[in-house]
Amino acid sequence: MIETIYIEKKIKNHPRTKSIQKKFKKSRFIEIDKYAEIFNKRNQNFRIQKANPNLILAHKNDGFVLRTPEGFGIGSSKNFYFSHMYNCIYDCRYCFLQGMFSSANYVIFVNFEDFDASIKNVIDQNINSKITFFSGYDCDSLALENVTGFAKHILPIFQQYPEVEIEFRTKSIQREPFMSIEPMENVIMAYSLIPDLMSSSLDNKVPSISKRIQVISDLALRGWKIGLRFDPLIHGKDWKFLYEDLLEKVYNSIPLEAIHSVSLGPLRFPKKMFKDIFNLYPHEPLFTSPLYSNDGIISYDTNIEEEMSVFCKNLTLKYLDNSQIFRCY
Amino acid sequence: MNKMSVRWVIALKEEAKVILDYYEMALINKKTLYPIFKNIEETHWLILSGIGRHNSAAATSYLYTISNASKWTSWINIGIAGSGKGDYGNIYLVDKIFNQNSFITYPATMPKSNLPKMSLLTTDIPITNYSSKELIDMEGSAFFDIASKLTSKEFICIMKIISDGPENNIKQLTKLRIIELLKLNLTKIAQVVSYYENLSENENQIKERPEIFFKISSNWHFSVTQSSQLENLLRRLKVFCDNKEIMDLIKQCKSSSSVINSLNNKIKTNKVNWSDI
Ligand code: SF4
Repeated sequence: MIETIYIEKKIKNHPRTKSIQKKFKKSRFIEIDKYAEIFNKRNQNFRIQKANPNLILAHKNDGFVLRTPEGFGIGSSKNFYFSHMYNCIYDCRYCFLQGMFSSANYVIFVNFEDFDASIKNVIDQNINSKITFFSGYDCDSLALENVTGFAKHILPIFQQYPEVEIEFRTKSIQREPFMSIEPMENVIMAYSLIPDLMSSSLDNKVPSISKRIQVISDLALRGWKIGLRFDPLIHGKDWKFLYEDLLEKVYNSIPLEAIHSVSLGPLRFPKKMFKDIFNLYPHEPLFTSPLYSNDGIISYDTNIEEEMSVFCKNLTLKYLDNSQIFRCY
Repeated sequence: MNKMSVRWVIALKEEAKVILDYYEMALINKKTLYPIFKNIEETHWLILSGIGRHNSAAATSYLYTISNASKWTSWINIGIAGSGKGDYGNIYLVDKIFNQNSFITYPATMPKSNLPKMSLLTTDIPITNYSSKELIDMEGSAFFDIASKLTSKEFICIMKIISDGPENNIKQLTKLRIIELLKLNLTKIAQVVSYYENLSENENQIKERPEIFFKISSNWHFSVTQSSQLENLLRRLKVFCDNKEIMDLIKQCKSSSSVINSLNNKIKTNKVNWSDI
């Protein structure tokens, strides 16, 4: 239940605003000028807000489509992302959003049509390159789909450009609109997974690994392409056993021909972000791991990162081709 | 230091009377600029600010200094308010505050409670044209403005009880009636305040320096940077080591840097046991 919904005056009559409001009949609606006056204020506590977040409906003015950071991608020469939303209904302890935003309130940008125009524009400007778009970099791309309908809205654009890939990265078990429409070759349904035991401690409010595997399998059988994102790779006692168990389970539950790609990503935080997250959760077991500061980045020791990546890659190679495996940095 | 702390800023003594009794606060035995009360445990402090924005702002910062409030102290402003919309005698949580100088702010996460919410207009002069205004007072915006410089917004709460409006002339409001209005809403007030007590206590548990930090700091000399390293290392180690284990690790150390190294080495070899969590 969302108690309060703040609505920017500019979009208070937008049809999407109205339809979202209808889904929260018991909420209190408060008109505001700009979402930033609530969302960007300093002196807020992300952890406390996360217990009972409010929703902000806003208009995005610019920066609809952006280049992804270096090292983020699955083989295309150019990678872009867009976020129709800030923040997430889940609460993963390693999530970078908790160090990036000062507020845990959800922001939904209702002017989807401006995203459409920017996406088309980027495609037109990169007509000779292989490009991939990532939906929901600053949120989980599908977790709130039943409220936003963003995926349903954006998919027809990619139907027009079959050579352009789009990845929906999620931890949700959202099946719609994907089960109801014809699968598209250029859409990748990507799922972030960590071993069950780690997930039950770190992936707060997130559907269990077994439920996620079930949905992946259903979507794969329906004909959608699947991305597996073992990202971040989490270290700890018996990590080899835990990852082996996870990978075997996944590869034995999903039709392998449906797997588009696998990516392996280390646990990394920019130093300042780590400091903020550590201050929010100083008693978090994850942060008792051997983490080092190197070039402004906090991560496991390079040897640990390497060992984990190689281990997971070798296991994956039993099932998939080398060209399907990517390492993120 | 006390684990939980709450600071009250209230304009009138009639508004404070019921609160003072309930939380067993007594006038402090010291000459102060404003009347200040506290309970024996020194967890609750209350200041009588008098009417108006300037008084409220000054009293809030004065109470902060006098009462040694922390960053996770909860701040509460409660009082009567005029209203053109709400129900006479009912209490409301404030979720939007504005004044005539175009100051607008929004309190953050609030307690899950059945109390209804309203916006508050803080004015410099008493207003009797209540039309379309949810709540009207003379202190709230100044209180919030100062308190949000002292703590994060989640720790600040404004509650208002409707005492006058188009149907209830302010001229008929007596001191006794104000006390009565507060008394009628005391259970609801206490419920909300217990949320803020817990919030403050939980934050204190999360943020306070581990006790062992003081013990170690008194045995070795640490620079400012080392102190912060030590504090962070101890917070991490405390998750999987007890104090004795930590002291055993460093008892042979000759210098502060060797203490830090020893603690660091312990972290370097830690493998989180996910099945224990
Ligand atoms: S699902 Fe992703 S975006 Fe959501 S909390 Fe977890 S890591 Fe963050």
